[in-house]
Amino acid sequence: MLTLMSMFYYICLRRRSRSGTRGEALTSRRAVESGQRAVLPVSVEVEQYAKEVLDFSSHYGSENSMSYTMWNLAGVPNVYPSSGDFTQTAVFRAYGKWWEQCASAPPPFRRTPKGFHSQDYIELGFEEPVYPTAVDVLETYYPGAIVQIMACSHNPFSQNPPTDVRWEVLWSGEPTKVLTPQARQFSPNIKHINFPTNLLRIEVNSSLLDYYTELDAVILRGVKERPMLARYKMPIIDINDLSDSEEELSDLGGPFRQGGEAKRTGNGYFDKLPYELIQLILSHLTLPDLCRLAQSCKLLHQHCCDPLQYTQLSLQPYWGRLTDVSLGHLQSRCTLLQRLNLSWIGNRGALTLTGFSSFMKACGQSLGSLELSCCHFLNEPCLEVISQTCPGLQELNLSSCDRLQPQAFTHISKLTRLRRLVLYRTKIEQTAILSVLTFCTELRHLNLGSCVRIDDYDVVASMLAARCYSLRSLDLWRCRNLTDRGLAELVTGCRMLEELDLGWCPTLQSSTGCFQHLARNLPRLRKLFLTANRTVCDSDVEELAASCPSLQHLDILGTRLVSPASLKKLLQACPRLLLLDLSFCSQIDMRVVQELSGLFPNVAIKKSFTQ
Amino acid sequence: MLSVLSYGRLVARAVLGGLSQADTRDYSLISASYGFGKDFRKGILKKGMCYGDDACFIAHNKNADVLGVADGVGGWRDYGVDPSQFSATLMRTCERLVKEGRFTPSSPVGILTSGYFELLQNKVPLLGSSTACIVVLDRRSHRLHTCNLGDSGFLVVRGGEVVHRSDEQQHYFNTPFQLSIAPPGAEGVVLSDSPEAADSSSFDVQLGDIILTATDGLFDNMPDYMILQELKKLKATNYDSVLQTAQSIAKQAHDLAYDPNYMSPFAQFACDNGLNVRGGKPDDITVLLSVVAEYTD
Repeated sequence: MLTLMSMFYYICLRRRSRSGTRGEALTSRRAVESGQRAVLPVSVEVEQYAKEVLDFSSHYGSENSMSYTMWNLAGVPNVYPSSGDFTQTAVFRAYGKWWEQCASAPPPFRRTPKGFHSQDYIELGFEEPVYPTAVDVLETYYPGAIVQIMACSHNPFSQNPPTDVRWEVLWSGEPTKVLTPQARQFSPNIKHINFPTNLLRIEVNSSLLDYYTELDAVILRGVKERPMLARYKMPIIDINDLSDSEEELSDLGGPFRQGGEAKRTGNGYFDKLPYELIQLILSHLTLPDLCRLAQSCKLLHQHCCDPLQYTQLSLQPYWGRLTDVSLGHLQSRCTLLQRLNLSWIGNRGALTLTGFSSFMKACGQSLGSLELSCCHFLNEPCLEVISQTCPGLQELNLSSCDRLQPQAFTHISKLTRLRRLVLYRTKIEQTAILSVLTFCTELRHLNLGSCVRIDDYDVVASMLAARCYSLRSLDLWRCRNLTDRGLAELVTGCRMLEELDLGWCPTLQSSTGCFQHLARNLPRLRKLFLTANRTVCDSDVEELAASCPSLQHLDILGTRLVSPASLKKLLQACPRLLLLDLSFCSQIDMRVVQELSGLFPNVAIKKSFTQ
Repeated sequence: MLSVLSYGRLVARAVLGGLSQADTRDYSLISASYGFGKDFRKGILKKGMCYGDDACFIAHNKNADVLGVADGVGGWRDYGVDPSQFSATLMRTCERLVKEGRFTPSSPVGILTSGYFELLQNKVPLLGSSTACIVVLDRRSHRLHTCNLGDSGFLVVRGGEVVHRSDEQQHYFNTPFQLSIAPPGAEGVVLSDSPEAADSSSFDVQLGDIILTATDGLFDNMPDYMILQELKKLKATNYDSVLQTAQSIAKQAHDLAYDPNYMSPFAQFACDNGLNVRGGKPDDITVLLSVVAEYTD
């Protein structure tokens, strides 16, 4: 009886709500029609610059500075309409394909959708929520990196915890190669959305660019009143929504299993195909397609849920929609998971410790690689879960997890089989990194760029030399206090080093002979960044030419002491050289660069300018 | 007797309270700058406020007005380095720090320190050195916070008298304290003082106080009494009259600098140091003149 009553009540409710929406649609249509005849209410367009930079994935500048950092994107433009390589702009950490070519770069994930190009992002908060009518990005150097602009329904400045966080794409496109480095105002045609926003996210892909892209300011234009068009628009059902389709799937699972066996021939000749062949075909589908296909018939359901389809899982392209619920649905299929990419996921409460740990407990056993870049849901218990559930983890990426507490990193030392560890822009402290190096002796690739909490890099370097003999790549970008002593120990101990990033390490003095010592000890060196070390001189370059024939990437930006003659020697001695950054080397002018480029056409010789 | 005393105390309190109440208004600085380059290198067009190798800035933030002058050390020209690049970049960086609110008004040394740090963060391998003086008015508390490194400086003038001034910092005659970035290998040779070596002070200002911030080009050529005479002409507290006075001070200093028979403060000081020098001291001159006024949006 009670159930009958409640059913009746439910039906009534649905009727009412349906008629309600229909009525509303009608009135709004009427409003539009009458509006065309009468005078439209004037809605004032608000124009605002970003108030605050809320989050970003990487930047060129150092953490406590305002030169080349992402924080420069807030506020009014500093450089525009000038073009050039200026300190006042926002610059990402990488550009071009150089970083992907390195051995330290992980292989790309299978099933990455074709439309997903984003490599870096930045999130900007604005003062007032508006219905956006236009977004302008002022790009002041090598434009063309922006691939997506998104808007969020959540107000980042409100005190309430985020509920119903929706991200809507305002514009998306392919990465482009703009031929000139000249400044431009990028104003794409944006989609109108039906909620006001004051949180924008800009995603970039710099892989086609010739140099670092520089962004000066972002302008959000919009109206405070909901525009008529957006109100009239039918709500779009997001078929890509993973969690919804998953739920349907779990509902439908039952009936299929019961009635499916009898009508086996219903699939035509398709199920005569060998199991492996169907699996191979399915391996080309993106994840949402796979989930949709699983709902079509029993045979495909079985194929699509096969754990062998889920040995690599990159959820990064779906960062905006992924929640605990979706992870829960995927859990049963991912028992053979080897590589997992959760980068950018779980922010603003989408993932919690419970959801994450239950997934890791179910799927962490055979996990070898885990990407968690910019995951701000991570806390100390999460890292403890990782250390307990993933005994065989070889790769861990925590880059830009800048809100993760220092004590959390102590758990990493339990992952003794680690080979690749990325800790770029994290708060790891001296004791934690030393204990990691003590136990993880198989490390091949280590990134400690911009780790501002490490007190003494010399100690870290000598620990590396003592424990990690098989180190291939080391990134010490912007480490504050590495001296020639630490560097000498490092290159004596880690003779396998192929990639070494010592960019913006101001305490290394060439006069101590440390760079020559480095070159003599690392004959396998392929990448060397000595960015903005003012002491790099001719004898260093000549020693590199004499000792490191396999050099591919060299950056000696910002030294006054290197002459064209020694560079010529280097270019002749290193036939595999691909990248040579000579920006702000005062002895090397544009004419020299052109001459060298003419002589060595295979080398991309970089020289940026300020107007 | 006792009641009279306590009554008097009450009255005094009321008066003082009234005074402090009158002071709840925010103050701000009305500032103008003017200056001359030593020789007329007009060919080089420089961004921002530069006079020869001198540079200066005037910046505002929601709780403070900030001024700064810097005097690029000319000796670097012999090494093929443009001395104005250092001072100009330093001042531009400090200006940005202020505009973006990356400072505390009570610590102008902080502005100088982070400004110097940002110079090292520039991709351009900057070389050079500079003196610097930064003056911050905290609008709410009416306190003037200053820091000074080297021989630039400032005066606070109230009712025709100097009530507060900066101290000059010199290693020895004509060699002021200076911030510097030396070329590799010459770190020990080049004089280089840490930004923390700057002399700091705080001072309460009143409405109508005049603050004159300038490089040594002014103070070496004009003694206090001449400056005070010029400042007397400043009657109104609007931008135009402030600019006019700044112009007349700078012009007079410029004229005196090229007068071979004038016994300038610099020549006086040189004589005290046993050097027989007469005349003005040709130098870049930068004058920042400010008047404390009530803050209006």
